Amino acid sequence: MGKVIAITGKGGTGKTAVSAMLLRHLVKSGKGYRILAIDADPDANLADALGVKVNKTVGDMREFMQESRYTTPPDTDKQKLFEAKMFEILIEEDGYDLLVMGKPEGSGCYCFVNNLLRGIMDKTIDQYDVIIIDTAAGLEHFSRKVIPDLDALLVVTDSSRRGLTTGERIRSMASELGMKYKNMYVIANKVTDSSREKVAENAKSVGLAVIGTIPYDEKLANFDLVGDPLIDLPDDVPSVQEVSRVAKELGL
Amino acid sequence: MAEEIQLDISPMYEGERIRKEDLWVELGGPKADGFELTLAASMDEVQDGKVTIIGPDLKDVKEGSTIPFGMIFKVAGEKIEKDLESIIERRNHALLSYISGLMHLNQRYDIWMRIGKGLAKKGVTSWEQIFKPVVTLYKAEMPFIEKMEVTIVTDPAKVKEELAKAMAVYQARDSRAKGLHDEDVDVFYGCTLCQAFAPTSACVVTPDRPSLCGAITWFDGRAAAKVDPEGPQFPIPKSGCVDAVAGEYGPINEMAEKRSGGEYTVMKLYTFFDAPHTSCGCFETIGFYMPEVDGIGVADRDFKGATPNGLPFSTMAGQTGGGKQVVGFLGMGILYYFSSKFLQADGGWRRIVWMPKKLKERVKEGIPADMMDKIATEDDATDLDSLKKFLLKVDHPVVGGVVRAVDGKKITEGWKFDEVTDEQKEAVIAFIEKTGGDIDTEAVKADLGMSEGQFMQVVEALQADGVLE
Repeated sequence: MGKVIAITGKGGTGKTAVSAMLLRHLVKSGKGYRILAIDADPDANLADALGVKVNKTVGDMREFMQESRYTTPPDTDKQKLFEAKMFEILIEEDGYDLLVMGKPEGSGCYCFVNNLLRGIMDKTIDQYDVIIIDTAAGLEHFSRKVIPDLDALLVVTDSSRRGLTTGERIRSMASELGMKYKNMYVIANKVTDSSREKVAENAKSVGLAVIGTIPYDEKLANFDLVGDPLIDLPDDVPSVQEVSRVAKELGL
Repeated sequence: MAEEIQLDISPMYEGERIRKEDLWVELGGPKADGFELTLAASMDEVQDGKVTIIGPDLKDVKEGSTIPFGMIFKVAGEKIEKDLESIIERRNHALLSYISGLMHLNQRYDIWMRIGKGLAKKGVTSWEQIFKPVVTLYKAEMPFIEKMEVTIVTDPAKVKEELAKAMAVYQARDSRAKGLHDEDVDVFYGCTLCQAFAPTSACVVTPDRPSLCGAITWFDGRAAAKVDPEGPQFPIPKSGCVDAVAGEYGPINEMAEKRSGGEYTVMKLYTFFDAPHTSCGCFETIGFYMPEVDGIGVADRDFKGATPNGLPFSTMAGQTGGGKQVVGFLGMGILYYFSSKFLQADGGWRRIVWMPKKLKERVKEGIPADMMDKIATEDDATDLDSLKKFLLKVDHPVVGGVVRAVDGKKITEGWKFDEVTDEQKEAVIAFIEKTGGDIDTEAVKADLGMSEGQFMQVVEALQADGVLE
């Protein structure tokens, strides 16, 4: 199995931008990684940040499977059917594949479908060298164990003390969920020269390791403003360079 | 004939995905027709190892394109009969996936295959070089296959034509599968997927009784148990029948005891009363017994209002769920409503008195024609009083007593008063005076709100009192 890295954080901290830039680094690294990106935040939009159009999501297919009990022939192999449906929604881009989790479950029982999904996700993830997951701070898909154990959990925060509190909260939530990860790091985003030291100090006081500090970046902000895909950011942008440095530190 | 090429074949390649960058040719899938069909034939109809190609061969297909594709496997052997066709066909997915550089997804008319560039590099140019080894693979895996012949169809018009023929075969198979009953199998399946939140829940899935959640049919149980017999779905031998009508079997009782941690020792399949099936918590519908009418109402998750007993789905589900065995309440999957054993010990549909309109519409094909108009919905009854009136009006079987279909036994007495009150006596006297002794049962129901049996009970009491002769 490949390296699984999840990126989380509160809305507005720039975690989706970090995910996109990490992906950009991997695709352009020339190492020929087989890369899977998973957009697991129903609110955020990694696909948008990558400039990719999404038709159907895992959530849609989960509903399809719920409905399939009434519509498919009696001896349909549902595992096989779900596998094919999951392959159908896999977006195959140049250099990476993207899977969008989409909407959460409706009412009713999803035990069986989620059980199938876990098996399929395990098999899918086996096919890649690196898996990048952009996930909501609520870690919903992890509580269902639909997404497997992680090598690294990256928490993106702003430079405020409160931002780091999110990091603490995510750490305790992850432990409550029995979520397994080898390392957890903080990436502080939109950091200014004057706040850099304070961030490091604050992080240390709550026992979190800072793996990267991304400066406030005019070019990145402009890309976001216009809505240009972040995958097209040039190499010399400071935030891109910092994310690349983080990737190297993670062994990528 | 194309030159033989040694392919990499191993179970470790199962699940291998051919990504866009490695794609040589795509077959079927969402963008093109595709099908797989396995047919049993007699020994002299099959030429072992022969691969016939109708349409362009692999080397003539444009790289990166998606084409219509059909594959027909004809098998023969002393032990091979029609029933084995679908079992053999189901192995396509695994066995074809064993070939490195070949991806196979889905089944039947939904197959989706990809041939990777890796096979081109190996020197593969013809379908024959791929499917000859498939024949060998099949014969090794299923030794009862003595001869096997392959036809590969890539000509678009011919794929359409053969697909139409295949559809007829699938349909015939489906009607056989739909007609499968508990009597026809010797294994049931248990499921403990929901024990995480319903610790004593022990679901039994049979051809006539799908799971409560509605997600697992007997076929699903079979498929899952085959993959992992120690997993949440496991086989239960069908033996030691104690009561065929209520659906009580020794091995099911043993399973229930073991999986519920000793909480329950008896669990019957087709009844509401006396050791019913456990209810997990996220069943699709709930059935509730209403003693006032001696009938069963059902409600589904989407029905948000109160049922005639005053309780909404959520309240009843809360009381019943968690893996409990609650006499008079039962979680049920929607597919169960189409079963010929639907609550057969309790009278089946003849005992059902109320259900939400939407649910009734959804399962109408399962409801016997003579019961269709006798089951009330929220339009007919919202409380017990209006329900009683409705049931009297339509002469529902519960009013006069239910004779269950399975063995013709009369299982309920029909409506009776526990005790005849003075009020009822006065009402009957007034009724008789009004009608002048010309008793019409319809008028009894409409004016007095009593069943014929109840009316006769009061008349008998009046006779005993000496008021009537």
